[in-house]
Amino acid sequence: MTEPLTAQEVSGAAGALVPATRAADEGRSLWSDAWADLRRNPFFWVSAVLIAVFLVMAAFPQLFTSTDPYFADLAHAREKPSAEAWFGYDGQGHDVYARTIYGARSSILVGVFATLFTLVIGSLFGILAGYSGGSLDALLSRLGDIFFAIPLLLGGILILYTFPSDLETPYLVVVGKVVLALGLLGWPNIARLMRSSVLQVKPNDYVQAARALGASPGRIILSHILPNSLAAVIVVSTINLGAYIAAEATLSYLGIGLQPPAISWGLAISEASGIGLIRAAPHMLLFPSIFLSLTVLAFIMLGDAVRDALDPKLR
Amino acid sequence: MRGRTRAMAAAAFTSIALVATACGGGGTPSTSNSTGGQAGAEITIRGCTPTAPLIPGNTTEVCGGNVIDAMAAKLVHYDPKTAAPTNDIAESIESNDNQNFTVKLKPGYKFHDGTQVKAKNFVDAWNWVAYAPNGQANSYFFAPIAGYGDVQCPDEECKQKPKAEKMSGLKVVDDTTFTIKTTEPVSNLPLRLGYTAFAPLPDSFFADPKAFEDKPIGAGPFQLQSKTTTEIVLTKFADYAGEFKPNVDKVTFRIYTDDAAAYADLVSGQLDFTDHIPTDQLVGEAYKNDLPDRNSITEGGRFTYLTFSPNDPQLKNNVALRKALSRAIDRDLIAKQIFNGTVIPATGWVSPSVDGYKPDTCGESCKFDAAAAKQAFEAAGGYDGTLTMTYNADTAGNKEYSEAVCNSIKNAVGVNCVASPVVDFATYNKKLDDNSLKGLLRTGWQMDYPSIENFLTPIYAKGADSNYSHYDNPEFTKLINQAAAAKTTDAANVLYQQAEALLARDMPTAPLWYPSTVSGWSEKVTDVTVTAFGTLDLIGIKTK
Repeated sequence: MTEPLTAQEVSGAAGALVPATRAADEGRSLWSDAWADLRRNPFFWVSAVLIAVFLVMAAFPQLFTSTDPYFADLAHAREKPSAEAWFGYDGQGHDVYARTIYGARSSILVGVFATLFTLVIGSLFGILAGYSGGSLDALLSRLGDIFFAIPLLLGGILILYTFPSDLETPYLVVVGKVVLALGLLGWPNIARLMRSSVLQVKPNDYVQAARALGASPGRIILSHILPNSLAAVIVVSTINLGAYIAAEATLSYLGIGLQPPAISWGLAISEASGIGLIRAAPHMLLFPSIFLSLTVLAFIMLGDAVRDALDPKLR
Repeated sequence: MRGRTRAMAAAAFTSIALVATACGGGGTPSTSNSTGGQAGAEITIRGCTPTAPLIPGNTTEVCGGNVIDAMAAKLVHYDPKTAAPTNDIAESIESNDNQNFTVKLKPGYKFHDGTQVKAKNFVDAWNWVAYAPNGQANSYFFAPIAGYGDVQCPDEECKQKPKAEKMSGLKVVDDTTFTIKTTEPVSNLPLRLGYTAFAPLPDSFFADPKAFEDKPIGAGPFQLQSKTTTEIVLTKFADYAGEFKPNVDKVTFRIYTDDAAAYADLVSGQLDFTDHIPTDQLVGEAYKNDLPDRNSITEGGRFTYLTFSPNDPQLKNNVALRKALSRAIDRDLIAKQIFNGTVIPATGWVSPSVDGYKPDTCGESCKFDAAAAKQAFEAAGGYDGTLTMTYNADTAGNKEYSEAVCNSIKNAVGVNCVASPVVDFATYNKKLDDNSLKGLLRTGWQMDYPSIENFLTPIYAKGADSNYSHYDNPEFTKLINQAAAAKTTDAANVLYQQAEALLARDMPTAPLWYPSTVSGWSEKVTDVTVTAFGTLDLIGIKTK
């Protein structure tokens, strides 16, 4: 356990070149330390490249394909992959490659926004609960417990069944509903983590010193507590991002997440998953599944790498 | 028709609905004298959960209808292959003017409780089903009978009792004779009498209808042995006097909620028959590998069509636009790619399986021609905004073909077309009723009895229950009334064909295709026939 630390001390001294970009500073923060660590982790680079590709795919799908994902030629239905259609055609004669590329947007949007939602709400509640303690802590914690008790998928199904989307619902609202459903059920996880981190940080001398100097609670939280308790939350959120993407696919697979004409991997998998279809046209199932798995894997790998970097003791 | 129609519509893709329309009636409280069910030939076939108690007058869907059909004998029996009617309980049904009918019964038929089937069992049963406060779904089948109006409630909620309890058009002459008088001439009345709603009910039913629900009784070749939520067991009725005697001693309807599970059981030999091959197994004909020589595709009295919403201002008064849209649907390609050839592209509004069918009534409006469709579409003024095709999503296959129809229209004429799901059949029906849907509507029909009339009157007559297109053409009404009063079936058919031709002119709906029933069976059984209604012929099936 001590070795990595010493190694870092050494590399910090020897590698004075590295932090050169930063202002010649007093030493290395937790974050620059972690960055140095991350850069040496091959998993980080693999996942970062994958995520970058998927993000570009989500933002500018037309860079990857010029085919209209909404155009279907039934005459080509279920044709195997070929030079014209790299991933083949689906049951309606859509180009599977184009559909898969365009499907990234839904998954990434849901994943990123559900994560941001839980991160913001969870952190806010966690800090409030941890810092103030007492009755506010009890109230927020019990509130969190209530949502924590509802399983993610079950709750998601319940919420989305209660507020169904139809064709007139704009795309972003449909995505918003899924985000809200996942976020509403996911925040207690983050809040609990945040609360315990805050409780750990709060007794530290620098916090006491700031308080003794008359700093306001807001300043103490923003300048001292938040930066020092954020690490664990970021790690868990990154891993959760992958989990939310998988949950979106599951809900869409069940027909209650995203609705056609929206394009999503979950929907594509749902449409391709009859036993007879798997036998007749496995490519319809294969390609969206691979992309979904890779995206989830990339975010979980990134989460692992970030955790290793931020918390070397866990390695 | 409505209850059934909708049931049908729901089932239209999977062949389930077939019988729904044709479900028979006749429950069988199995009593201690039951004779069937000795060890012998036993088969297990796919069943589904009946939505209503097994009373002939209240069953409008196939799940209960299949069971009731096996238990109930009716005046008329439909031939399994051709659906041609032959007399069953009826000795003769005679009329000189198609308005006054005399029905003579064969003596010797018995209900499963041992009592004789008499004329009054028919008259009482029909009166009971028609009497509105009893709330029977098949009540409308008796509408042609004189006095039907008097047994209906004067108000919607039925707060006031109807004027009469019995229809004046039905009279018992003696134990084996009764007469029927209709308000208007009905040339095909005898043909209709094989439908389950017209089954007789035993005296014990009227004493205690609730008890009957637990142990339904009929006069048919099978009687009920047991009924649970997972299976319904029928055994051969030894005292059945008719000529349609079954070859098996025991039939178990095993209830499945998932077509795929039933299919898997069939392949592994746990089940003897299913009429629901899952749609994904149709692709590449996977089921033909699994069930070599043990599958069949049966054409029957089913029809899938597209209703142009009467609530859509752009479609409502634009016949040319409706024709252009119909022409933009590549029925042949959809039949091949989505259904793997198990549906026949439609060329008219009447199923080829009924007497009176005339091919190619629809003409060029049902022949795909993208260029001509686009030209006609633009000449008709086009369609602003997104065209939707609404379907109920709870039936397998609806989604696939609705999307395919939309894509075909989109590619041909360039309008943006989107298939729009409604969560289930009940919700879909509600939306059809409150006229909130626009654009194209998925609709299906399963014949109640084998007649061209059954494909026209219930769907296009003014105010008819299943007239979702709100079609209202006095000329059409006149023709179908004349046809109903015609002296001979041939004369009637000519008039019905003329009425059908008006549909081609006015295009209130667009024919899509005639679905078939795709079924499979185990190695244990032989002589499997799927009837023209799309159901298994339980009389003919044998075990090896």
